[in-house]
Amino acid sequence: MIKTYFKIAWRNLAKNKKSAIINIVGLALGMAVFILIALWVWDELSFDKYHENYDRIGQVVQTQTFSGEQYRNVAVPFPLGEELKTQYGDYFQYVTMASWPGEHVLSQADKLISEHGIFMDAEAPRMLSLAIVEGSIDGLANPNSIMLAESTAKAIFGDENPLEKVLKINQQLSVTVTAVYQDLPDNTSFANIRFIAPWALYVTSESWILNQRSNWDNNSFQLFVQLRNGVTLETVNRSIVDVKRNRVDEERKKLNPLIAIQPMKDWHLKSEGIMRYPGERGGSIKYVRLFSVIGVFVLLLACINFMNLSTARSEKRAKEVGIRKTVGSPRQQLILQFLSESVLTACMAFLFAILLVFVLLPWFNGVAGKKLEILWTNGWFWVAGIVFSLFTGIIAGSYPAFYLSSFNPLTVLKGTFRIGWMAGLPRKILVVVQFSVSVALIIGTIVVFRQIQHTKDRPVGYNRDRLMMVEMKTSDFYGKFDVLRSQLKEKGAIEELSESSSPMTAVWSNQGGFTWPGKDPALQTDVATIWVTHEFGKTVDWQIREGRDFSREFGTDSTAVIINEAAAKYMGVADPVGMTITAGDLGGGDYHIIGVVNDLIMDSPFQPVKQTFYFMNYGMVNWINLKLNARKSTAECLALIEQTFREVIPNAPFEYQFVDEGYAAKFAQEERIGKLATFFATLAIVISCLGIFGLASFVAEQRTKEIGIRKVVGASIFQLWRLLSTNFVILVLISCLVASPVAYYFLEDWLQNYEYRATIPWWVFAVAMGGALLITMLIVSLQTIRAARMNPVESLRDE
Amino acid sequence: MIELKNIFKWYKVGGNRAFVLKDINLRIAAGEFVSIMGPSGSGKSTLLHILGLLDEPDEGEYIFLDENVLGLKEKQRSALYKQHIGFVFQAYHLIDELTVYENIETPLIYKNFKSSERKAIVAEMLDRFGIVGKKDLFPTQLSGGQQQLVGIARALAIKPKLLLADEPTGNLNSKQGESIMELFKQLNEEDGVTIIQVTHSEKNAEYGNRIIELLDGQLVS
Repeated sequence: MIKTYFKIAWRNLAKNKKSAIINIVGLALGMAVFILIALWVWDELSFDKYHENYDRIGQVVQTQTFSGEQYRNVAVPFPLGEELKTQYGDYFQYVTMASWPGEHVLSQADKLISEHGIFMDAEAPRMLSLAIVEGSIDGLANPNSIMLAESTAKAIFGDENPLEKVLKINQQLSVTVTAVYQDLPDNTSFANIRFIAPWALYVTSESWILNQRSNWDNNSFQLFVQLRNGVTLETVNRSIVDVKRNRVDEERKKLNPLIAIQPMKDWHLKSEGIMRYPGERGGSIKYVRLFSVIGVFVLLLACINFMNLSTARSEKRAKEVGIRKTVGSPRQQLILQFLSESVLTACMAFLFAILLVFVLLPWFNGVAGKKLEILWTNGWFWVAGIVFSLFTGIIAGSYPAFYLSSFNPLTVLKGTFRIGWMAGLPRKILVVVQFSVSVALIIGTIVVFRQIQHTKDRPVGYNRDRLMMVEMKTSDFYGKFDVLRSQLKEKGAIEELSESSSPMTAVWSNQGGFTWPGKDPALQTDVATIWVTHEFGKTVDWQIREGRDFSREFGTDSTAVIINEAAAKYMGVADPVGMTITAGDLGGGDYHIIGVVNDLIMDSPFQPVKQTFYFMNYGMVNWINLKLNARKSTAECLALIEQTFREVIPNAPFEYQFVDEGYAAKFAQEERIGKLATFFATLAIVISCLGIFGLASFVAEQRTKEIGIRKVVGASIFQLWRLLSTNFVILVLISCLVASPVAYYFLEDWLQNYEYRATIPWWVFAVAMGGALLITMLIVSLQTIRAARMNPVESLRDE
Repeated sequence: MIELKNIFKWYKVGGNRAFVLKDINLRIAAGEFVSIMGPSGSGKSTLLHILGLLDEPDEGEYIFLDENVLGLKEKQRSALYKQHIGFVFQAYHLIDELTVYENIETPLIYKNFKSSERKAIVAEMLDRFGIVGKKDLFPTQLSGGQQQLVGIARALAIKPKLLLADEPTGNLNSKQGESIMELFKQLNEEDGVTIIQVTHSEKNAEYGNRIIELLDGQLVS
């Protein structure tokens, strides 16, 4: 019986090739989008699940209140770890302090490489359930040890056995390789960590760190924990909330520091509003939800096509239904017949969709910044696929199946059967739904790109052109300022060289405790602080608004400060030049303001620029900034710079970054959203167009006789075209009216994420509406003009 | 008014030509009422369609109102058609979605008559055919005879010089058929409309003043 169903279903598909192809291609596109999004969502949701103790790992987050606003930050003070271990040991299986992850130079004999690594307590590998390839999981027990990721071991030692070999970190700390572990997969928070060294080593490596051992005021470290079995997060969070508050003086209590543990499952997707280390921006559960909804919608669009075309063709099938009913076919069998047709279509579409996904995946990975794979060998993937096809087939086929099987055989066979206006109504509603989604996606795409462009056009306050930066990773970089500057200038490689504490694309430090004459005593200051050398302004080409730049001619400039425009506003003084600032947290020194510069966008271009003080100090710097010589090509300059660095600083690898590239990277997430939105919008439009194409051809077919009559009584082709297209145009106009306010609402909400945001002008809606209309007219015209040109003699035969 | 010279019409079946019309020569003067007769498949309808400019012959010459229509451009031909020719069908071919009134009005819209003119003409037609009371009904609410009246009214609304009818009484009972034929006769005699009808019925053919017989695509007689 089933076999007969499918045989007849197959014949029907083969007979109506055009509608079968529209159905299969349309459904396949919808399914392909759905599968891509499902893979992406799966990947996002399985983030960090690599770690066996996923459910019980957490990171300590501190909430502080500055001037009434709460700031959440993963940076915690040194003694907090010890406190949790000793006072709350019952809750935690592991408590491990950690440094910021960062680039460090690893060297062995003449091998020099720069790798991303972290310093953690000895229990960290167990907590993170690292897969040990060689050596011991407790390899960090000895303070002079290091555990390498497989890729790092390979890079340094090649095929040699790395165990027991001695390395140097930053040319300074000697460590022995005690273990090699498998690289962490890309969808983990620690994915880019390529080595782990002991926390104990970190503590003794620099004197300032050791000094923080009992300092509750310096938030410069990370703290990870793993809860014991049976301990709930709520219990722990309730008992540790005031652990820091109880340890600080009255002045600090005003900031109301609250301690809580953020579970690992929230790190990636629910970290909005939590400061992680500079530049890091996690994914967002919002986008996971948004894209899930879009995926379901696009699939829905494809199903709608299917339903529309099947019901539209029902008049043709009505006779078949009538005959089947008169020879005694029960309704149930007819339903099965129609469902088997739709399931067959869905299965063919699924195979086609897999092919599409296979072709699109590399591109999609590029856009989404992921390494997704089709799970060819995963049985569940196929089971899900088959269930999914059946489900789609049944959903898409249910309406036509129940509708078609409900025909009364007598009226159908007598020829008095008509599809009335009401029967077309659901179809019209479905078309409106389709086009509403498409139009909303078009509007969304335009607004996302406008926001990106708007932000890109924002003046950055300095010149990114030919500006390069080099991180001072090891102590070898220090004390070479004059040599580097004079040699590079002599060779004509650069126009200027300077050093600064933060790279041009981030702000690494913020300070409080500033006072100045006339300051509101209630204001708890929070200012971005950057230390620079004399020629910093000249190197980056900043714009002095008032006063002057740092100068070698004034010996007093070592206690000078230049502030940005935002800082002048923040301080609330009209003429800040000449004023004196007292830096309470920086040893209480006085600094006189010599100039005000236009705001430099160093942090997020989507946020307002923070109040910033630029101090001059040759000892507090971490980055070398170089302005390349415009008269030489970039390649020439680079070659000269590399040569000079290798000569002057032979013990460190020469690694650099161009500021414009670093700046462009700040838009990665928005551009990703923009590209994905374009992709989804395009597909939604294609699917909707396929639908309207099928429907227009059906309508043209259905009205062949009427067209013939009208031609016989004198209608021109243009008049017929207008007659046939009007309905579709009205439907699309209604869609625009539905889509515009919905899109506006969601986009306004999205734009609220950005302090610096574009507007949504009316023309965006007009463009989307015009685009949708134009496409509809084109597609409908293809069909209607053909129908209108037909010889009426053909359609009006009286037989 | 009408002159056909050596008209051929064929379909390709495989490599051969299946002739529908073979070497038709025919003259029809203005004011004639001609009946075309012949068995099924003899080419009657095709001939009528060619006369009505809905179809083109594969060979031959057609002169309509002193113009060689086969040499005309599509646009001119369609203008000529709109101006002078009305069609009546066996199956009425009314537009189901439109009322009686709107059906009659349709050709006037396509001829760009003004709204007021259309109103006057449609009212005149409704009045003339005694269907004023039916003007707001849809075709499916009418009897066959009434539908055919609407079809004729629609054809005559543009005041054609030539009325072509393809078995106008084929779907009607004899009484309805008779009244339609009487109407045709009256139109021909009183209004001077040239009429060419295709019919199976000897009796209907008698209403005209000339009978043309077709057999296998050729004129008999």
